[in-house]
Amino acid sequence: MEVHFSPDGIHLPELGLWLDPRRPVPAAWLSHAHSDHASGVHSLVLATPTTLQLYADRWPDPAGARTELALHPLETIEFRGAELTAYPAAHILGAAQLLIARNGERLLYTGDIKRKLPLCGWPTIVPPCDRLIIESTFGLPVFRFLDPEPARLRIAAFARECLDAGEIPAFTGYPLGRGQEIAHALTQAGIPISVHGAIARYIPFYEQAGYGFSGWQPYQAQKISDRALVVTQDLRPRLEAAQKNVRFALVSGWAMFDSARAASGAEELIPYSDHAGFEELLGLVAESQARQVDVVHGYAEQFAAILRARGIQATARA
Amino acid sequence: MTMDALAALCDRIASAAARTRKLNLLADYLRTLDDGDLARAVRFLSGSPLPDGRKLSVGAATLRAAAASATGWDLELIRFCSRVAGDSAEIIALLMAGRSAGLPLSLSGAEQHLLALAAERSKARKQKLIEQWLLAYAPLTLKYLLKTLTGMLRIGLQAKLVEEAIARASAQPLELVRAASNRSGDLAEVALAARHQTLDRIQARLFHPLDFMLAKPLESMPDGVLDSGPWWVEDKYDGIRCQLHAAHGKVRLFTRGQEDVTASYPDLTVPLSAIHPPLILDGELLVWRDGAPQSFNALQQRLARKRLTPALLAECPVAFIAYDLLYAGQTLLLNEPLERRRALLESLPLQPPIHIAPQRRLASPQELDALFEAARARRNEGLLLKRAGSLYEAGRRGGAWIKVKRALATLDVVITAAEQGRGRRATMLSDYTFAVRDGSRFLNIGKAYSGLTDEEIRQLTRLLKSLATERFGRVVLVRPEVVLEVAFDGIQKSPRHKSGFAMRFPRILRWRKDKPPEEIDTLDRVREIYVASL
Repeated sequence: MEVHFSPDGIHLPELGLWLDPRRPVPAAWLSHAHSDHASGVHSLVLATPTTLQLYADRWPDPAGARTELALHPLETIEFRGAELTAYPAAHILGAAQLLIARNGERLLYTGDIKRKLPLCGWPTIVPPCDRLIIESTFGLPVFRFLDPEPARLRIAAFARECLDAGEIPAFTGYPLGRGQEIAHALTQAGIPISVHGAIARYIPFYEQAGYGFSGWQPYQAQKISDRALVVTQDLRPRLEAAQKNVRFALVSGWAMFDSARAASGAEELIPYSDHAGFEELLGLVAESQARQVDVVHGYAEQFAAILRARGIQATARA
Repeated sequence: MTMDALAALCDRIASAAARTRKLNLLADYLRTLDDGDLARAVRFLSGSPLPDGRKLSVGAATLRAAAASATGWDLELIRFCSRVAGDSAEIIALLMAGRSAGLPLSLSGAEQHLLALAAERSKARKQKLIEQWLLAYAPLTLKYLLKTLTGMLRIGLQAKLVEEAIARASAQPLELVRAASNRSGDLAEVALAARHQTLDRIQARLFHPLDFMLAKPLESMPDGVLDSGPWWVEDKYDGIRCQLHAAHGKVRLFTRGQEDVTASYPDLTVPLSAIHPPLILDGELLVWRDGAPQSFNALQQRLARKRLTPALLAECPVAFIAYDLLYAGQTLLLNEPLERRRALLESLPLQPPIHIAPQRRLASPQELDALFEAARARRNEGLLLKRAGSLYEAGRRGGAWIKVKRALATLDVVITAAEQGRGRRATMLSDYTFAVRDGSRFLNIGKAYSGLTDEEIRQLTRLLKSLATERFGRVVLVRPEVVLEVAFDGIQKSPRHKSGFAMRFPRILRWRKDKPPEEIDTLDRVREIYVASL
């Protein structure tokens, strides 16, 4: 199968299909609903039903110009002479890998992925394939992230420590994915939370998928005492200016490094990510049994070199 | 007590943003230690872990080489990871996760290891020793053990805070601890003396930097402060503030960043080895040409060069302008009034390249403008006013010294991000976002690109790349270490920057290599300038 890598995305010319394109195309597979993967309006959009819902919410199509084709996880459909199957990827709600089988060759595209269980979302299932296109956002051996249970405990412990001392814990997170995972972990621990609108907007999608957020309230600037805050990073300057004893926690893969304190302004660093750490990436490559690996995103050069040193035919695709 | 517990404490201190929280954690910890471990822990925390104060001088490259053999990862990858995180010790500890045996390590065991390392001459054997530690101890313990080798813990714990924790843990007045620490320069000795209530027995010692007395800007003083005199007035020189220690042929020159810069100025320090009776001078290091001090720009030519050549020494010879005497006649003079210190200073047989700063009585506040202009005409930065009868308040900016600088305010800020330039400067990081300090945090206040020479920008680009923590397209976030002095036309409120303020027409005056980021201007100072401008 022919695969073209370019700054516009990954193109499969024989299928006329683009994987996570960065510009409008005739037919696109969207691995998940983050805007660096799913944006703009394509004529035909393939994704899991959850990703399609989130994508439609972020990129409405009032004119009805686009056609959507839902791939339920683990179901196979025929598409232009190939068989397409979506496999869960655990990155955020709805995230999936795409397995493309054509003329006896199997190509797997991970999109953004993690191997460990997420706080919210499906567990990753890796099908065997011949060729693997894998992300490497954290493809260096220093990245090793918390399992969901310790992450949940760290998140709750920081919130309790602050609240017990009369301070306000604030978690900054990406509006879709991390924000809801943190909110879910806090409410599960019985901690009252206020959630910023940009994050709260997607709570109904998570509730629909069965995750609880009992007792959450919308964030209001005047009412921030005695609650943990789940807010976007942009809100930090305003919260700091309010001089209200707010203490920040960063829940992120970058929280591996002490330098993240200066970079983020957070004092508590919780290294939990919605991407795979290094060992997880190695595990994914091994499970896939792929003979040929293409590495995209992040530390692609370094991760591809590490795979090659282990005898795997790997190429970094910038 | 174990090195493992100390490492865990360091991690908690690093993650405590509030100064009081850091202080409580440390004071509580110090109380639990016996005398031997108290001394060891304090030495570790002050970044000088060997009992005799020797430097370990093990570079990050040796650490990475040891890590390469311990992990099997190639050196290039380890170097790459270190650049990503900004700290080799930290990266190596992360790489050892799941690989090291996690054996317990006591503080005395850690000290033995460091002593053995210091005693080892061969680089290869040093590396082998470190490799053995890597395989033996837990990653968190390794992180801080290795950080002590490179001399930087980076947990936001200044010596001031350690002194405060010692005072609190031993229930001794902070002033006594500070004064003893200034006399001794050995915090471990001070911690033990504080615990045993023998601080007053600590003798003054040379060749460790004492805290500098600092001046407040005139704008920050209440109106009419000059009427409450009398005041002495000197020119404020535009060089590097330094402390000069000399005794029995030995000479050391320390900057305010506690850095020993003796070796960089042989034209100053070699002639001074003729001085025998011990003394400590406070003053300014600057280029001296044609019988007069030159501006900072002249000194900067000298700072820019790594290698000293005879031509450079001839072109930019340095001198030391002494304006205070801190130690003479076997006595620390900090608690002597200004006039007595001055009289003793003038009585010393000092010769060029040491000069004594001329000083005179300020007859009336009305004289100030004319004096300021005269100082500027002599290419000096402005004036320094010293309150008559004042003591030398080491480490304090108490208002007994007042600096009068250029009419336009300037701020010392730290670079937090740098952007690739355009056109001619396209391959350099030439646009800098900078921050002021608020407690232990740095809050952005502005961005500027003009004011530095291309050579300075090239140097800064190399340095900033090594400090990079994250990259977003053309913008690199950097660890806050590079200090700039910026001028501006005013301060405005602005939601654009985290500080809540922005500068009008900010421009870079100079790169303050002499100043650590802990000493840059604060958000409070910005507020003062803003309020004063209303």
